[in-house]
Amino acid sequence: MSKLKTNRRNFLKGMGMAAGAAAAPAALWPNMGWAASKDRARELNILVWEGYNSPNVLDPFRRSFDTRVSAQNVISDPDAVNKLRAGENKVWDLVNLNNPWAREILYPEGLIKPLDQERFRPYFDQMLEEFRWPYKWAMSLDQKELLGMTQRFGPLSFVVNTDKISRSMAEDQGFNLFMDPSMKGRYGMLTWANWNIYHMCITAGFTPFKEHTEAEFTEFERVARYLFKNAKVLSDDHLMMNQALITGGIDAYFTGGTYSCSIARMDGFSNVRGITPKSGPIDGKGGIVWIEVTSVVNNPELSPRAEDFLEYVQRPDVSRQVAFAEGSHNPVTQLGMKEVRDAFTKQELDAIQYDSLEWELEHCADYDVNPDYDRMLEIYTRARREA
Amino acid sequence: MNMPSKSYPVTDSSAERLPETKDPALKLRARKTLLWFKQPGALLSLPALFIFVAGFIGPLGLVVIYSFMPERSFAFNQLPTLENFVTIFQEGYYISYAWSVWLALLSTLILIVICWPVAYGLSRIFRRSMILTLLLVLPLFVSENVRLFGWVLTLLNHGILDGTTRTLFGWELPDMLYNAPVTVLGMVYVYLPFMLFPMSLGISMVPDSCREAAFDMGATRWQVFKEVELPLAMPGIMIGCLLSFVLVLGSISEAKILGGQSIIMISHDIETAFTYAQNWPLGSALSTLLILLTAVLVIGLLSRLNLDNLLSRK
Repeated sequence: MSKLKTNRRNFLKGMGMAAGAAAAPAALWPNMGWAASKDRARELNILVWEGYNSPNVLDPFRRSFDTRVSAQNVISDPDAVNKLRAGENKVWDLVNLNNPWAREILYPEGLIKPLDQERFRPYFDQMLEEFRWPYKWAMSLDQKELLGMTQRFGPLSFVVNTDKISRSMAEDQGFNLFMDPSMKGRYGMLTWANWNIYHMCITAGFTPFKEHTEAEFTEFERVARYLFKNAKVLSDDHLMMNQALITGGIDAYFTGGTYSCSIARMDGFSNVRGITPKSGPIDGKGGIVWIEVTSVVNNPELSPRAEDFLEYVQRPDVSRQVAFAEGSHNPVTQLGMKEVRDAFTKQELDAIQYDSLEWELEHCADYDVNPDYDRMLEIYTRARREA
Repeated sequence: MNMPSKSYPVTDSSAERLPETKDPALKLRARKTLLWFKQPGALLSLPALFIFVAGFIGPLGLVVIYSFMPERSFAFNQLPTLENFVTIFQEGYYISYAWSVWLALLSTLILIVICWPVAYGLSRIFRRSMILTLLLVLPLFVSENVRLFGWVLTLLNHGILDGTTRTLFGWELPDMLYNAPVTVLGMVYVYLPFMLFPMSLGISMVPDSCREAAFDMGATRWQVFKEVELPLAMPGIMIGCLLSFVLVLGSISEAKILGGQSIIMISHDIETAFTYAQNWPLGSALSTLLILLTAVLVIGLLSRLNLDNLLSRK
């Protein structure tokens, strides 16, 4: 009997330790979304692409609003959308995704809320001309509701070492450059699958943003197999690609742009340059530009700090911090304000290729949804595996 | 003395509450199970059992259930299907499985050859083996990716190795990164401690008296190795092999960072299915097959070699 008592004591002790272990995550990581407290006025949970989670961006907000901010990196747009679909709209207050998702998926599915137009419209009037009110991707499909704020954007096609391949030649040839037999073993592929697929469509001579014919699928497969077979290196790390480009391992990489090469340019390697093709099959355009839209999540217990944060990141000083977050430097729509432009040094403007930004935007189609993405991804992964 | 569960009378009051069954053997078994759960030990093990089931068996069970759901679904409440497994066989995923198994085997073999002399030295020869052990253990405190990027900087064109030979001797080394051999190098490097330390433990378990007796009986050095040391150190070698094999089978970073994706490991395909493709059922089916493959190989190997007997020295 006494043995049983001892065991019970040990058992209770064990249970106490187990309870302590269970509570530890909340104590150690109080900012985790799932450990959300009821004090929503002092808490903000944001699901964002790399850059918005930078301490340079978040810390001043934390101090000014006495708010605990937790940020989680988005690894892909569909993944973030599925998180919200799976019920995480009760966790997050803001979501930052590429342009098509807010108006075409999130709002129709009731996952985000419209913004107060009176409060946010004035900010659009100060943005670069291409993003002024009413900006298509920030509005609902009927153009009546404001669904989010735009900030970071960037052309994304491919990157070359201009010491080896001249900018003008790359712009003239576009993606056909990679199909040239002389490029075999001289290029890398930045394996961001969704972007690779878009760029392979352009290389194959048709737009990715439509339903495709069987002949186009066949051509897509031919291009995918050729590109994988003849690439020297594949990586999903853009810093590794830049390194290979700088050290002469490769002369160009398929899929890339300001987002991927600006860090190398900032380090003084101005020969590493994102290229936008002069022409292509998307209504005559051969490049694609992504635009991030940050929206307020349809959270039943939404933090009142959500819209405050959206307003905060529009400030000129914060816009610059967002543009130059660690990991990647990008243009921001707030470059329309002289105050923001003046805050950038010459080197910083060169890093984001400000000299050709307007020309590149003219020659880029806006990122959109590819209705055949799933089937093309199957072809793409098979081609990569069998290369 | 009999064990309590065997000595309890079958007329125990709790047994009377059991549902009626016509099969006496089944009835007896049900009573025994109930009595087993009434023991303090069994009751006390329930929290740990619950954590084990919820934290270990549960997720694996979810993965297996998901693998039978229709493609691109995110719920369990649908009719089960085998379409994901059909897709795996039709879409050439066997290539990734084959590469993963081949590289796991190759790395394990290389690790055996490399680790035996080092482990032997650590256990029997080196006087300051603690220093060497520390040197081998310390890298484990650094992230695997950081260590692999260290190799990238070393082997890179114009990197540390190439740059040094260019500067000192004017030699230009060929490209060393982004191929299958460098992927194997990364695997051998990263998983070396997982082979070395169990093997070292195995060698230290070989009694000196056995070796001396073998020499006294006129055995050659080779015979002592083959007939005495190797069999007696086998538990350590087997554990090292199992750890290395299973870890390499599920590895992804070496093929990505050093290999430049010249080889697509099965873990990479699983990652793609769960992220870019958002096809959780396909990812689950790929994972289920990998778990099955690992289980068949590991259980098959263990049953042939009877690790229990080896460990208990029966």
